[in-house]
Amino acid sequence: MQGLSSQTESRLGERLSTPMRPVALDQARVFIVVAAFNEAASIGDLVRDLMEQYVHVVVVDDGSSDETAELAAEAGACVLTHLINRGQGAALQTGIAYALSRAADYIVTLDVDGQYDVKDIALLLTPISDGRVHATLGCRAPSEHDKPSLGLRLRRVLYAFSKLGSRLGLPPAVPDAHNGLCAFSRHAAQMIDLKLDRMSHGSEIVQQVLAGGLKMQEVPVRVRVSDYALRKGQRSSAALRVAFRYIMARFTR
Amino acid sequence: MSALQTFVVLLFGTLGVLTLSAGLRGTAPKRVVAAALLLWAFGGVAAVWPHTVTDLAHQLGVGRGADLLLYMTTLSLAVACSYMYARFRRVERQLTLLVRRLAMDAASERGPIVRSSMPSDPIRHSDAGPRLLT
Repeated sequence: MQGLSSQTESRLGERLSTPMRPVALDQARVFIVVAAFNEAASIGDLVRDLMEQYVHVVVVDDGSSDETAELAAEAGACVLTHLINRGQGAALQTGIAYALSRAADYIVTLDVDGQYDVKDIALLLTPISDGRVHATLGCRAPSEHDKPSLGLRLRRVLYAFSKLGSRLGLPPAVPDAHNGLCAFSRHAAQMIDLKLDRMSHGSEIVQQVLAGGLKMQEVPVRVRVSDYALRKGQRSSAALRVAFRYIMARFTR
Repeated sequence: MSALQTFVVLLFGTLGVLTLSAGLRGTAPKRVVAAALLLWAFGGVAAVWPHTVTDLAHQLGVGRGADLLLYMTTLSLAVACSYMYARFRRVERQLTLLVRRLAMDAASERGPIVRSSMPSDPIRHSDAGPRLLT
């Protein structure tokens, strides 16, 4: 994964045209955006974990029918409510828009399934606050326990193809664009306007940040695959659905 | 003309009148009106003079007229589907913008979260960051 990320970075580096200046990392300027749909089982703990280190935790309740909103608010998050379910991409965009309206300098988006260590958020923020990049993307650092599953092998093959595509002028290949943990500078967040409401927003984020001529870097993060995440998780076939929606959206604009 | 032929001609005639009136009132895009009219006209001709379709099929190297009709039906179905899909996506998008607006308005009605660490000088940080050169 390390090899992949350095390669992506150098490819992205060529597109860099915006000067960056380091901004001191002030916790009060970091907004954590969480999109939650029927996550009452885990949202409270997640928000409490986050609130220990960050001041602003924004939970976008995406039309949940359970207690998600109440539990998040109880734990101290600022809760925005989508009256009807609009999908994760839409919810994240709402959270980002809200954070920007509250003068956020850094915005971190993450999934609720509790797969990350909250401490790893700092790893994603450092390259941005140092002024090296505008946005960072968490990528799953493989652990020695991982057995390469069929899905993983398939993804590797697809990744090889997409690298070929990037030579032909398609957007550069990012092996783990859909892992759910991203951090943006204020400027990068302003570039983002997620139009894909459902699950294809990972590719869209990468594409929009790069289209804005900004620099993006991948940061390996540890992933705990909890039972909860496995139960809620996606199949590998979901990747095809994501790709289909992404391609259709680019043709039917 | 057989009863079936009469029915088909009447059907396509009615559809044609409806399409034309929609086009004149401006409720449908001109391109769509033109495509629909062409389709109804073709359907009418095919019903009344079936051999014209067969002749056309021979010209195009398709073989039977019925085959040509099948291909054209499939093609127009695909076009209609993609048209509906684009429209559906537009409506979905508008719905999302509406839901987002409601969420944002409700949040700002509650007022800003007051915390000791909120910035004292919000203007300094509200600039757009480094300007894009490209």
